[in-house]
Amino acid sequence: MEVFKLLKELKSNLELEVHYLPKENGLSLIESTTIGGNGVSAKGRDDQVEDLWSLTSFFGYSTQTFVLAVNLLDRFLAMMKVQSKHLACLSIGCLHIAVRVTEDECNVSSSHELIRISQSKFTVSDLSRMEKIISEKLNFQFKAVTALTFLHLYHAIALSHKSNRKDFLNLEKLEAQLKACLCRIVFSKAKPSVLALSLLMLEIEALQSADLLEIAHRIQAHLKISKADLAHWRGLVDQCMREYSSPECAKPDHKKLMWIVSRRTAQNLHSNYRCIPELPTIPEGAWDESESEDSSEDLSSGEESLSSSLGSDAEGLYFPSNFRSRACRPYLGFKNISLTSNWFSVPNNLNYTTHTQKMANSQHVL
Amino acid sequence: METPTKLPPSSPSSPTTGFSVPSAEKVDGFPRRSMRRARQRRSHSSSQFRYQSSQVELTPLPLLKDAPVAELHDLFCKKLQQCCVLFDFLDCVADLKGKEIKRAALNELVESVATSRGVLIEPLYPEAIKMISVNIFRTLPPSENPEFDPEEDEPALEASWPHLQLVYEFFLRFLESPDFQPSLAKRYVDQKFVLQLLELFDSEDPREREYLKTILHRVYGKLLGLRAYIRKQINNIFLRFIYETERFNGVAELLEILGSIINGFALPLKSEHKQFLVRVLIPLHTAKSLSIFHAQLAYCVVQFMEKDATVTEHIIRGLLRYWPKTCTQKEVMFLGEIEEILDVIEPSQFIRVQEPLFKQISACISSPHFQVAERALYFWNNEYILSLIEENCQVILPLVFGTLYRVSKEHWNQTIISLIYNVLKTFMEMNSKLFDDLTASYKVEKQKELKKERERNELWRNLEDLHERRLQSLTEASRNQKNLQERENTTKSQSETSAANTT
Repeated sequence: MEVFKLLKELKSNLELEVHYLPKENGLSLIESTTIGGNGVSAKGRDDQVEDLWSLTSFFGYSTQTFVLAVNLLDRFLAMMKVQSKHLACLSIGCLHIAVRVTEDECNVSSSHELIRISQSKFTVSDLSRMEKIISEKLNFQFKAVTALTFLHLYHAIALSHKSNRKDFLNLEKLEAQLKACLCRIVFSKAKPSVLALSLLMLEIEALQSADLLEIAHRIQAHLKISKADLAHWRGLVDQCMREYSSPECAKPDHKKLMWIVSRRTAQNLHSNYRCIPELPTIPEGAWDESESEDSSEDLSSGEESLSSSLGSDAEGLYFPSNFRSRACRPYLGFKNISLTSNWFSVPNNLNYTTHTQKMANSQHVL
Repeated sequence: METPTKLPPSSPSSPTTGFSVPSAEKVDGFPRRSMRRARQRRSHSSSQFRYQSSQVELTPLPLLKDAPVAELHDLFCKKLQQCCVLFDFLDCVADLKGKEIKRAALNELVESVATSRGVLIEPLYPEAIKMISVNIFRTLPPSENPEFDPEEDEPALEASWPHLQLVYEFFLRFLESPDFQPSLAKRYVDQKFVLQLLELFDSEDPREREYLKTILHRVYGKLLGLRAYIRKQINNIFLRFIYETERFNGVAELLEILGSIINGFALPLKSEHKQFLVRVLIPLHTAKSLSIFHAQLAYCVVQFMEKDATVTEHIIRGLLRYWPKTCTQKEVMFLGEIEEILDVIEPSQFIRVQEPLFKQISACISSPHFQVAERALYFWNNEYILSLIEENCQVILPLVFGTLYRVSKEHWNQTIISLIYNVLKTFMEMNSKLFDDLTASYKVEKQKELKKERERNELWRNLEDLHERRLQSLTEASRNQKNLQERENTTKSQSETSAANTT
C-alpha cells in the first residue's frame, strides 16, 4: 500500500512539474548569447551555479536548497532579460530565498554573511530589492517540484520493494550527481521527472540489478515517459557523469578569489626572505683544502701559529704552482685571472668596493 | 577596602617585580622581561681599557702624501706603530691630543691603502696585522643587561668606535687592495687570528659585527687554507649557541657569510656540508631568539635545497620535528620558511613529504591564533604550491578537509572563515567528485558523533533515573521499618500497661 501512495504522489507531482519549468526559448536564448556580451551567457550561468554550490556546501545547507535556488534562477533568467553584471546579485538572491524556504530558521545565515563570504560587491539593500523583484516575477511560487522531488520519490519506491534489500541505492550519491548535472544549463531544459529517471537508470546500470531495473521500467510506464525522451537525456547525463567522475584534477580559476589577510600577516608577507644577499658568492674549488681538512684536526688552536707553515693551506694561491702553466679552469668561475703574474687577485667586477664605500658612510647599521 | 588594582605581594626575585601594564602591542599576556629594568643603563660601554706600562706620548708625523717615495714605506711603518697605542674612551676628556693624532694617522693609512698602488710591500704585512690585532682583539665587556632582548633594547655601543671603525676600515681595504697577496698574509692571518676574529662576533655593537662580517667573508674568500678551519669554528660557535648558552650576538652575520659559501658549493655536495645542514642548521631553528636571524637561516636552508634536492626530505622532516608547540610567533616564521621551501621544491620530493607536511598545516589551520591560521591558509594563494596540490589532490584533500569544515563553523575570526571559503572553493574546482565524496563521509561521521553523544546522554539519564528509584525504594524501606518498630513499641507498652492493670 505504501507503494500505491507513492505512485499517486508521483502522478500528482508530474502534473505540477510543468508549472515550475523554466521557459525553453528563454533558456535557448541564454545558450546562444556570446560570452562577454551584455546579457547572460551559458558559461556565465554555469559559473554562477557552481558558486552557488560552493556557498551551499560551505554553509552546510541541504541539496534541496541548492536545487530550489537553481530552479528559481533558471525560471527568472528564462523570463527576464538580465544584464551579466546583475547576475551575481540575482543568484545570491535566489539562494537566500531558497534558504529561507527550506532550512530551519536557526540555520539561516544573514544577507550580510552571504555577501561577505561570496565576496560580492553589492550591498544588503541591493540584495533585498532583488529578492523582492524575484518574488514578484515568480509569483511567490517557491515550493517548486524539481528533479530532486522525483529522485526522492523514486528512491522511496525502490526501497519499499522488500525484495531487493541487498541492492542499495545510495541517495546521497544520486543527489551529488544531480547537483553536477544542474551545473550545466542544458539540463534545465529537461523535465525533472525525466532527468531524475535518467540518473536513476544510470546508477541502476552501474549496480547491475535486475530487480531495480524492473522497478524503474514500471515507473517509466506509470509516468508515461517516452523512450526517445529518456534515451536522449540519458545520453547527455552519461556524458556529464563521465566528466564529473574523471580522476583528473582541473586547474582552478585562481583569479576570481580575493585573499584578504589581516594587517599583521600582510606585513609579514612583505618582509621578503628572498632579499638579495649583499655578500657575493664564494665558489668552492674542487681541489680546495682537500689536505687542509686532515691537518687542521691535528692543530691546536692555541699558542703558536703553526698553521701557516704546515700543509693546511698548501694551496695558498688560487692555482697551486704546478697548475699555473695550464689554462684557467672554467669551473672556478673567475673569468679575468691573468696567468702571467706571480700572484692572483679577485677581479674587481665582483663589486667588493661598492660595499666598502657604503661602509665608510655608515654610522649605526642595524 | 582593598583597591582591586593592587598587585599581590611578590618576592623580589619573582618575575612580576616592577611589572607595569604592557602596551597594547604585546599580544601575548606574558610580561616581557625587558620591562623589568627600572634602573637606567649606562649608554656606553667599552672594552676594558688596558693600561699600558708606559703611556706613550704621540708626536705627529709628517703626512704620507707629502713624503718622498724613498721614505714612504718607513713612514707608513712608523704610523702603524703609532696606531698600536690604545686610548681610554670612557673618559671623554683624557688625552684628546693623542686621540686626534691616532685618528688622523689611521685616516691617512686607510686612504693610502685604498688609493695608492705599490704601498703594500712584504715588511708591512706583519706590522699591519699587529696593529689590527692590538686594536680589535680585546675581551668583550660582559653584557650590561643580562636579559638583553635584541628586538626591544638598544644595543650597547662600543665607546672607542671612532678609532675602532678606522681600524676595521683599514683592515678591509687592506684585504681588498689589488696589491694584497694571500701567500704573504697567510703567515700572519692564521688560525689563532681567525679564532679571535670569530669571538668578536659576539660584540653587541652592530656596526662592529657588520665590519667583521665583510672582513671574514674576504678572509674566507682569499685565504683558502683557512676555509676548513673557519667552517669548523663556526660550527662550534653554533653548537655552543644551540645547546649550551643560547647567547651569541653574531648568529645573523655568520649565517649571512654561510649563505654566500653555500651558494658556491660545488656539486655533488660533500657529505661534510650535508652533515652541517642536519646537525647545525636545522637544530638552529630551536633557538629562542630565532626572529633575529631567521631570514638569513631560511636563506641558507633554501640555498641548500637549490644545490641538492635530495636534502629536501631531511629539511622538512627536521622542521616538522622541531615545530614550535607554544610559541606562535615562531610558528608563523616556520610557516613562512615552509612556503619559501615549497616555492623551490621539486615535485618528486614533494610527494615524499606531503603527508606529514599537510597534517601539520592542517593543525596550524585549526590553531586559535589567527595569524598562524591565516599564514597557513595563505599557502593556497601561491600558484606553484597550488599546482603541486593539484597534482596530488587525492592525497592532500582528505588530510585537510575535515579541519577546514570544522574550523569554518567554529573559528572566532571572520577573516579566517573567508579564507577557508576560498580554500574550499579552490578544492571544489579542482576535483568536485572527490570533494563531494569527502563531504558525504564527513556528514556521516558527524551523524555518528551526534548519535554517540545522544546515546551517552541517554545512558546518563537512565543511570540518574535508576539512582532516583533506588533512593526512593530505600527511603520507603526505611520508613516501613520505622513504622513497624513503632507499632511494636506501642503494642509492647500496651501489653505492659494491661499486665499492670490486671495485677
